[in-house]
This record gives sequence, C-alpha cells and structure tokens, in this order.
Amino acid sequence: MTELADSGPVTSPADPNATDVADMARLAAGELDALEGLYGRYGTMAYSIAVRVTGDPSMAEDVVQEAFLGVWRGASRFAVERGSVRSWLLAIVHHRAVDHLRRRRPTAELPEDADGAPTPDALTLPDAWDDVAATLDRQAIQRALDAIPAAQREALELAYFGGLTQLEIADRLGLPLGTVKSRMRLGLLALRAKLTVGGPGDNGGHD
Amino acid sequence: MGAMTDPRPGGLTCAEAMELAPAYVLGALEPAELATVRAHLQECPEAHPALAELGSVVPALARSVPITAPAPDLGARIMAAARAEAARAASVAALERPPLGDASHLTEAVPRRGPNGDARPEPERRPFAIVQLLRAPRWAAVAAVLVVTVLGVWGLQLQGTVAGLTAYRDGVTAVVDAAAAPGARLAVLRAAGGPSGLAAVSSSGLTLVVRDLAPTSGRQVYEAWLIGSDGQPLPAGSFGVGGDGIGRLVARMPVEEAGVVVALTREPGPGATTPSLPVLIQGKATGA
Repeated sequence: MTELADSGPVTSPADPNATDVADMARLAAGELDALEGLYGRYGTMAYSIAVRVTGDPSMAEDVVQEAFLGVWRGASRFAVERGSVRSWLLAIVHHRAVDHLRRRRPTAELPEDADGAPTPDALTLPDAWDDVAATLDRQAIQRALDAIPAAQREALELAYFGGLTQLEIADRLGLPLGTVKSRMRLGLLALRAKLTVGGPGDNGGHD
Repeated sequence: MGAMTDPRPGGLTCAEAMELAPAYVLGALEPAELATVRAHLQECPEAHPALAELGSVVPALARSVPITAPAPDLGARIMAAARAEAARAASVAALERPPLGDASHLTEAVPRRGPNGDARPEPERRPFAIVQLLRAPRWAAVAAVLVVTVLGVWGLQLQGTVAGLTAYRDGVTAVVDAAAAPGARLAVLRAAGGPSGLAAVSSSGLTLVVRDLAPTSGRQVYEAWLIGSDGQPLPAGSFGVGGDGIGRLVARMPVEEAGVVVALTREPGPGATTPSLPVLIQGKATGA
C-alpha cells in the first residue's frame, strides 16, 4: 500500500484506516507500542466477537490475545493485502474463535498437529474482504440482518457464529446440502442488498 | 501456468469453486474443501468478482454482535505477552550467533569495499539481538533468559528460522526508517513464488531488504539496480546472502528521480556494470 510511503504526517483523523495503516507499518518495523493503539480501537469489538462465537469469557480472552499476537506477527504481510486493517483484524479474531470452538468439539476434524496441541506458529491469517457496510453502525447492520428471511439468517448465523461447516449445518437442520449452500448464498446477497441500497433505514419501523 | 490453460485449476472449475464461495467466505468449509478452493484461487487466472461480492458482507456480520466489554487488564496482559515473545525471539537469535561471528547482518555499510580497504576503526560488533536485549527492560531480559533455557531443546532449525525472521524484521525497520525521510518512496519487490522484499529510495540512496534468496557462494553477489525513466539500469550496490536467505543493502548514492524501478539480479562477482538476466525481483518506488 502506498500509504506507507507518504511523507509528512500520516495520520488524518478523517480516515481511521490511515491511523491503522500507520500502526501496522510501525508494528512491521518492530515497534510493539503500535499494538496498544490497535487494541485501544478494536479490543472491545474483538472481545465481543470472540464471546459471541465461543460463548465463554475465558476462551474469548485467549482468542483475543492470540489474535492480537497474530496481528503483530503478520504485520509485515499486511501491507500487500487488500481490505481495511479493521476488517483484517476482526477476520483474524473470528478465525481464531472458530478454531477454538472446533477444537473443543470432540467430533471436529482437527488440523494435523500432534495430539491436537495448538501450535503457536500455525496461526494462519485469513483473507481480508472489503467492507460493504464500512460506515454503518451496529444497530443499522442488526436491522439489516433482521430484515432478511429467517431461514437464510439461520444458515448465516450457524456458519459464521456457530462455527459449523456447511455439512454440519445440513446435518443439524436435516436439510440437503444444496439447500444449505443456497440459503447461505441468498442470505449473503440479501444482506448485501439491505446494507447497500439506500441503507437499512427504511426498515426502522420494523417491530 | 504456462501456455496451456488448465480448465480445473486446483482440481475445480470456476463454477465448482464459486459454488463453495458462500461457505468459503463464512469459514464454513470442511478442511479438504477449503484446501481445494485455496488451490483454485491461487492457480486460476480469473478474477472471481462473485467471491469479493459475497466476502464484502462478512465484515458487517462481524460488527453485528452485541458489545461485551473485556476485562480492563486484558490489553496489558496482551502487551506483556507480546513483549515476552519479542524478548524470546531476540534471545534465541543471540544464542545462535556467537558474539564475534559473522556480523554482516548488522553492519549497515553493506556495499563492501574489500577486506581491509577501510580505515574506519572496527566498531563494537555486538550481535544486534544482544543490543536489543540491553535496551529491553530488565524484567524482559530475565524472562528471556528463563525462556532460553526452555527453548534450548527446540533444536537448531527453529533457532535458524527465528534468527532469520529477526534479521528480516531488522531489515524492514531500516527500510521503513529510510522511507520516512522527506520525499522518500517505498517499493515492494515481488516475483511469483520467488523472493520478496521492500526497498526505500530517497535522494540520498537506497535501503532494501529481501528474503527467500538462495545463498551466495564464492564471489557471487546479488546486485541491486535503479532503473530510471531512461531505462538505463544503474548499479546501486551488492551483497552476499547466507543460509537464512535474508539480504540487506544500504547504498548511499545520489538519486535524481524518486520514481525509479528497483531490481535485483545475481552476478558472478561484485562490480557488474550491466545486469545479468534474469531480473530476480523488481518493484517500482511509489509514494506521495
């Protein structure tokens, strides 16, 4: 990203991602203090996601710690990836949370490491996507989510927050795999439409 | 890759891969399916806009959760863990390098002048890792020593890896520092599946770090070139590479235009005036 090479003051309050990118550059250069800034901005959101996925405050703390250490270790790789720092960081949190959840489940297929022991170096960094709702707040997103068909919302929630694979969702709901796949696809597209077309504001009177 | 286009990159057609896209962006694929989708995306030349369309909804899902405040000291615990890990990496690197060993990774004036052609007094050639430890708070040093005893059994391979990572991170630090100079530009150096690195170009010279380079032997060197708008490659300096695959260069030279292309070749010896092809990696210096 070319932001790294900008001369002069890098932080412009108008663009939170500029502050984030500057912190990532400092982290990549070994300045650990930059991690504090990122935690200050995203620690609560990270913890909230971890609690939502794991349902366990102490496991959620482990998840957040691993995720921020992963951000630090992966900082030098961030510069060449797409997406905002926030989306990337929260994707790492989600990835770690689901990983913890699956390890706890006896039937889950574990990654190949000896005796299922977590290997610290196995921290893989997920893709970062553009955020279609970057400027929307939680309530607006929640309203959009409430406005899509319940069966699609259920599929999205079981996958993203429940940590279930599409096969496990089909099994749990007693549905053909194809139905689950299409509910996930339609759910994502419906949510995208609610989030983009004029925002979800029209739905404010709902409930 | 190559002239023939594989209709099933990674074992999947694009249609098959995109059928798995919703579960892929949500993290809901079985491990084997995930591996095939990743392989497809890596090998397939197509752009897959449907994937980005579905994926762009996922950050919103992440931000839809109810807010739960973490314990007030969680941030401090995370910072302590990160500092302990940094100290550990530094101490492992210190173990790997005896105090008077090859210090080429820390001497900044890498464009070498010849064995004794330099009249400068020999500075203290402490391995950088020890310098880092001395700068760290005392508790960190103590913790590092404790960890070192535990790590003693981990074996040479890990030590080499960590030392290499630390050397690379040090190189990145130097480049980022150089890129902070007024008017400086940053170049990302890349080649498909090959070495990668970063370079900063300013009016006073070039600073670069590259990893995953094959070690040099004999008189072999890697030579950095600056190619301006006239297309003429100017040699900027050379360096050797050891077993860790990390190469660093700090070349002081006047650079008239900042928007140059930085390129790297391997040469049979120092002092090349025209690059021996192929160019291993290159990148254009960009910035404000």
